[in-house]
Amino acid sequence: MSAKGFVGAALASALELGVASPDDIIKHATPDLLAAHLPRSLWARLLTACLGAARVDATLIVDTVGVPNLCEHVPLGVLWACLAELSTRALGGAATAAPKHAMPGPGSKPLEIATPPPAHEPARATPSPAPALGPSIPGFAASGGSSGDDLVDERPTPSAPSRSRTPTSQRFRSSATGTGRGGSAAPAAPIVAASSAPQRRPQATAIAADGSPLPGQRRVQTETQHFDAETEVGAEAGGDDWKSTLAVDDEQLVDWTSADDPARR
Amino acid sequence: MSQDQRQAWFARMVESGLEQAMFAPGDILAHATPEVLATHLPPELLAKVLQASLAAGSMTPERVLETVTPAILAQHVPHEVLWACIAAAAQRAGVTQS
Repeated sequence: MSAKGFVGAALASALELGVASPDDIIKHATPDLLAAHLPRSLWARLLTACLGAARVDATLIVDTVGVPNLCEHVPLGVLWACLAELSTRALGGAATAAPKHAMPGPGSKPLEIATPPPAHEPARATPSPAPALGPSIPGFAASGGSSGDDLVDERPTPSAPSRSRTPTSQRFRSSATGTGRGGSAAPAAPIVAASSAPQRRPQATAIAADGSPLPGQRRVQTETQHFDAETEVGAEAGGDDWKSTLAVDDEQLVDWTSADDPARR
Repeated sequence: MSQDQRQAWFARMVESGLEQAMFAPGDILAHATPEVLATHLPPELLAKVLQASLAAGSMTPERVLETVTPAILAQHVPHEVLWACIAAAAQRAGVTQS
């Protein structure tokens, strides 16, 4: 084995191919190293060449001494460092001067430089609705021409209550607690706005003496008004008992509203 | 440095390493493993290697390198692999110890 021959050939080919320049070699084989290792005969040749040249540079030194002489006299580790640097530069900084792992055995796999693993598959886009449906499943177009988006939109969401539940709850609250009295406490119940009923107070007082609702009352215009608790009580009582329950003093009514209603405090 | 220059340099280094007995064909194939060769060599070269081995009756690293020459190695195999082979040989030879 001739490590010197190998390093010399590698450096010579690097210079020949333009992979390396004489400066790269002299950067490692410094003048101090040359002075310490080159024989006197080579120094004499080098001095003669330098004296006769108009300009002394690394090219002159390398050309005069020669790569074989450098490999012969300069420590091989120095030239190897130069070769390793060249390789690192040639490989874009990926090479190392020597492998840092243990040397591979004869039967081992020393280097795992195969093809890189395949890139992750790009995330699939949201699949479009299947164009074909099963024979027993009617298509959206066949069942009314609506798309699949309608199914999602029709789902009840907490933030969007249906219109049928809002008036029911609002009406029950108004008749039971009286918070809608005065018109300013309750913020625009939809059923009131739809039927154009201004307030709840006239509903309670607009009952005729015989218990029948007045003909001009707006509440009979909508069906939902039939379920009003006060109306039902009047209809089922039949007799005059309800009169005694409703026959309250005005002062009591006013005092109760102003004193006990927590919403007005 | 162009790609051709680098490729020619690595080809010469591999060739020189074989000539100087820095490493043997088996050392090269220890780095340029069959997986590496199968991945990077063109199909016609793989076929030629197989044909040469069939004709000789065996497949040896030397026979592989008769077909897959250093120039072809430098042309197809990643240079990092070749350099790893060279660096390992240099370490075995004690070249790296300055």
